[in-house]
Amino acid sequence: MSGGIARGRLAEERKAWRKNHPHGFVAKPETLQDGSVNLMAWHCTIPGKQGTDWEGGNFPITLHFSEDYPSKPPKCKFPQGFFHPNVYPSGTVCLSILNEDSGWRPAITVKQILVGIQDLLDQPNPADPAQTEGYHMFIQEPVEYKKRVRQQSKQYPPLV
Amino acid sequence: MADVDAGHSEVVSDEETSKEFMCPICLDLLYKPIVIACGHICCFWCLHHTMDSIRASKCPMCRQPYIYFANICPLLHNLLMKTNHVDYERRGKETLEIEKSNDCFSSQDIECLNSCCEGTDENKISISDVICSGCKEILFRPSVLNCGHVYCESCMVTLTNDKLKCHVCESIHPGNFPKVCLDLDYFLKKKFPQDYYHRKELFQSTKVRQDQYLNQSSCTSAVVGENSKIEEDLIQMQNLHPCVGCDTCGMIPIIGKRYKCKDCKESIGFDMCEVCYNSSSKRQGRFNQRHTPDHVLLLENSSLEEVPE
Repeated sequence: MSGGIARGRLAEERKAWRKNHPHGFVAKPETLQDGSVNLMAWHCTIPGKQGTDWEGGNFPITLHFSEDYPSKPPKCKFPQGFFHPNVYPSGTVCLSILNEDSGWRPAITVKQILVGIQDLLDQPNPADPAQTEGYHMFIQEPVEYKKRVRQQSKQYPPLV
Repeated sequence: MADVDAGHSEVVSDEETSKEFMCPICLDLLYKPIVIACGHICCFWCLHHTMDSIRASKCPMCRQPYIYFANICPLLHNLLMKTNHVDYERRGKETLEIEKSNDCFSSQDIECLNSCCEGTDENKISISDVICSGCKEILFRPSVLNCGHVYCESCMVTLTNDKLKCHVCESIHPGNFPKVCLDLDYFLKKKFPQDYYHRKELFQSTKVRQDQYLNQSSCTSAVVGENSKIEEDLIQMQNLHPCVGCDTCGMIPIIGKRYKCKDCKESIGFDMCEVCYNSSSKRQGRFNQRHTPDHVLLLENSSLEEVPE
């Protein structure tokens, strides 16, 4: 009976994004080899905020939606090994609004997710660490941490 | 692409509010709208999809817990049919297709208010489309009961004795006073500014009296008592009937005794909770079941350890 509503919602998300989206962000459903579009996985780019150590970086992130979306949140993954206190070694983002048991609401849009992750980049949450390296450096070596973040931002230059 | 962005640049910060009466789940026009006790609106099927069938569900907008899958709101249904006729018809067709393929239907006969289907453009909306079921004037700070009927927030207090009972259908509203439906309130302010503000002024002049009334009827104690029992059961996962809802009040999952209709042919079945079984409610099922009062309901004690008496 649960003839999923995920695809319908994602089609609307795509329409809304095309109509209007925040500057510098990219969000596109994946195109498969045969040319068809897979609405269940979106390749996105989040720009680092200006005036922060993340500025200049365009960070690739993939949103994986399940058939239970939007009852359940998508899994959001940066590349493996991404440096940030709240990103797991696998690249998965740890953020309350992406957690079904704490902050996720089906009303949260793709746009809000991406903007939320952009905010998280410069405002890590030390109460909820997901990787040792990023967390320890953030807590214990702030200077080194800043350097590392700037270096990572350079690794992801703008595409144009 | 660039020029499209430029055209919209000034509304970028204006979050998803541009589309009026948009469902927060499918992001399309609301279809067969249901107003949850917290005042947020979703489509019938969208809400059903996001509900939890083994514990309390959370509002898709504000995460407030609720366990009642309310009735479709006839006032909003009729309003949308008029204001967004083309889109609403499209939504109706699309939904019916899906319902047919799933062989499971939403309610097909929603009360028609004020000879609905004749006016089709927004200009034909009149005050008579948005009146309170209590005072019969234009709604002021509208709240929607579990049965789907709409009252001014201030008229709700006149419905209580020991229970919150709808004047139109005589259904008991489970739980506390529902919150104001802000989307509808916003629409009323925008569409009928003069009448709305007239109501507001009148209201403020009588507010003192209302407040007294409210205090006096710190009412619904019976309902509240019932509710805390429900919450307790929910937390302890006792007496639950997972994935089974009451077709009368909409409680999902049913807590306490469950009565199952042995005559309804629909695959989704027809069930009632104890409170509804003992009340003389005549409602049809949430899913358009053809349940009639002469059908036989049997106590189904799958989830109960022991049935007293």
